[in-house]
Amino acid sequence: MRGPSPAGRGRGKRAGFERAWGEGSMAGRALLRLCPLLLRQDRRGSAYEGFVTAQGRDFHIRILLPSDFQLKNARIQCSWQLKRLLHGYRQILKQRLQHCSDLVSFMEELKTILEVALKNTEDLHTPPPPEYYSHLIRDIETLGWNKIVYVDTGLSSVKLKAEDSRGRQHLITLKLNAKYPAEPPDCFVDFPVQFAVSWIPQSSLIDIYSQFLAALESLKEFWDAMDEIDEKTWVLEPENPTRSATMRRIAIGNNVSINLEVDPRHPAMLPECFFLGADHVVNPLKIKLNNNMHLWNPEVHLLQNLKEVLEIEFPSRVVLEKSDFSMDCGICYAYRLDGTVPDQVCDDPRCGQPFHQACLYEWLQSLPSSRQSFNVIFGECPYCNKVRKYFRKRIFEQNTALEDRKISPTLFPSLSMTRKLKVGQTNFCGRFYACFSSGIEI
Amino acid sequence: MQRASRLKRELILLTTEPPPGITCWQNESRADDLRAQILGGEGTPYEKGIFNLEVTVPERYPFEPPKICFLTPIYHPNIDSAGRICLDVLKLPPKGAWRPSLNISTLLTSIQLLMTEPNPDDPLMADISSEYKYNKPLFLRNAKEWTEKYASQQKSASETLSEEVNQTEASTPKKSAISQKRKGSDTSIREKKSRLDS
Repeated sequence: MRGPSPAGRGRGKRAGFERAWGEGSMAGRALLRLCPLLLRQDRRGSAYEGFVTAQGRDFHIRILLPSDFQLKNARIQCSWQLKRLLHGYRQILKQRLQHCSDLVSFMEELKTILEVALKNTEDLHTPPPPEYYSHLIRDIETLGWNKIVYVDTGLSSVKLKAEDSRGRQHLITLKLNAKYPAEPPDCFVDFPVQFAVSWIPQSSLIDIYSQFLAALESLKEFWDAMDEIDEKTWVLEPENPTRSATMRRIAIGNNVSINLEVDPRHPAMLPECFFLGADHVVNPLKIKLNNNMHLWNPEVHLLQNLKEVLEIEFPSRVVLEKSDFSMDCGICYAYRLDGTVPDQVCDDPRCGQPFHQACLYEWLQSLPSSRQSFNVIFGECPYCNKVRKYFRKRIFEQNTALEDRKISPTLFPSLSMTRKLKVGQTNFCGRFYACFSSGIEI
Repeated sequence: MQRASRLKRELILLTTEPPPGITCWQNESRADDLRAQILGGEGTPYEKGIFNLEVTVPERYPFEPPKICFLTPIYHPNIDSAGRICLDVLKLPPKGAWRPSLNISTLLTSIQLLMTEPNPDDPLMADISSEYKYNKPLFLRNAKEWTEKYASQQKSASETLSEEVNQTEASTPKKSAISQKRKGSDTSIREKKSRLDS
């Protein structure tokens, strides 16, 4: 299939070009070597037609040079296959046309691009053979559809679920390639140990699944031990342990904790452990661990062993009420401060951090980057200072303010705060007095 | 005034939700003197090490940053032989980047990060810094050696016992010379001794 016929361009003959591109010329020979199937169509050498070869495939192409033989104005007509292949490479091709000095170097570039394009398209667009699907569906049917948690639209990724004998749920993700079942799928599991699948071309999903179940059973004891720890002690770290996590940091008392590294293959043995905390608490624990090490009984659960060897009871989790934190001042971390409540709020809605006026003022006035002008202090929010925010601090003349606005004395801060500010205020203007209350507009 | 309420809340948070690999507690019920421990990160030369730090909370906290320094000797481009740390968040603006939105927990996490990613372009220890830049294998070897020597908790209980007995014994002059630079000299001596005992 050919593109539209070339539009006739200028007919001016150029002797120089003719010399360079003549049949016997160097460039002509180079082109012939590079693309033996691309032939000159006219005497002037302004049209070439033929085939360009890449990865053993020939693609029909026609190149039309303008009258001045400038490559950058050349027209290239391709067969539809070539067009499709080069679809994503238009920009690169244009760029190459601009930069190449002659047709030979451009053809070289075109071949390189074509090779890349061919490689990429094959990877992306070649669907697996029909047998792949029928085989996979047959496998899944044998396995049972109820084991499937997820299948992607291309049927190349499958998630299977399984339950071990203790009722724990586990997942395995299989990434199948087009050569399945000749080649094994990639398996992803949440295990503390490696999960290697043994695979022969006759294997199927069922084999993987049974290997998965066997591996689950072999790790049963380890997860039992970890589950007991997670359930009965206060695990500080990791926050939401995955099934593959072998480490636990458990609270023993105030600011004292023990770090355990459990061997998934031998969960009943004494784990690798060390203590964190002040020496006077940690040292006695170390002594106990050392002296009672012989009491460790592999027949008994890990947690029970730890309790006996360390002669302690592990405290249970202390849950903090987090809900009220958001109301507190971002600087003093309290809600009430000398009878005041946080009334300054960052006006960026994404931040919205509240502050006590006193806290914010004290921070901003200590910064060289803050500016004070009469009754307002401008500065950055300590929480979201990337967005330049300005905070307003109301400071105004004492007399007029008191008389004009009839402020109730309770709105004023404590004496100590006033004193502090009086020291600060001389920096900018001796006549002004700081007032800390929310309801006053200047 | 703000310090009291802030410290109270921070200490509760540090106890209930300590950052990964970090502990921090009040030293003998003095409000302004805290102790902290940072676990050496995996894949760093400080792995398996437990580093003790001293956190001093100034009167004007949180308007001023707490003073934090290492008690355990550490081989690091940004931490000097007295345990002082070169880190912007530990200094007040305009030179530093301290803000009241930070707290002890985030500072300790920053220090933990600094241990993982030293900043050789802003060095405190010029020799270690150039070593880090131009001879990484040697730096890693040295840092690992120091970790094993000073920060390793492989001292077991019997060693702890014997060290209490041996506490009056004089350590070798070289050791004491090193440890005298530190405020936490007693810990390092003890750790060294326990290694001898084992």
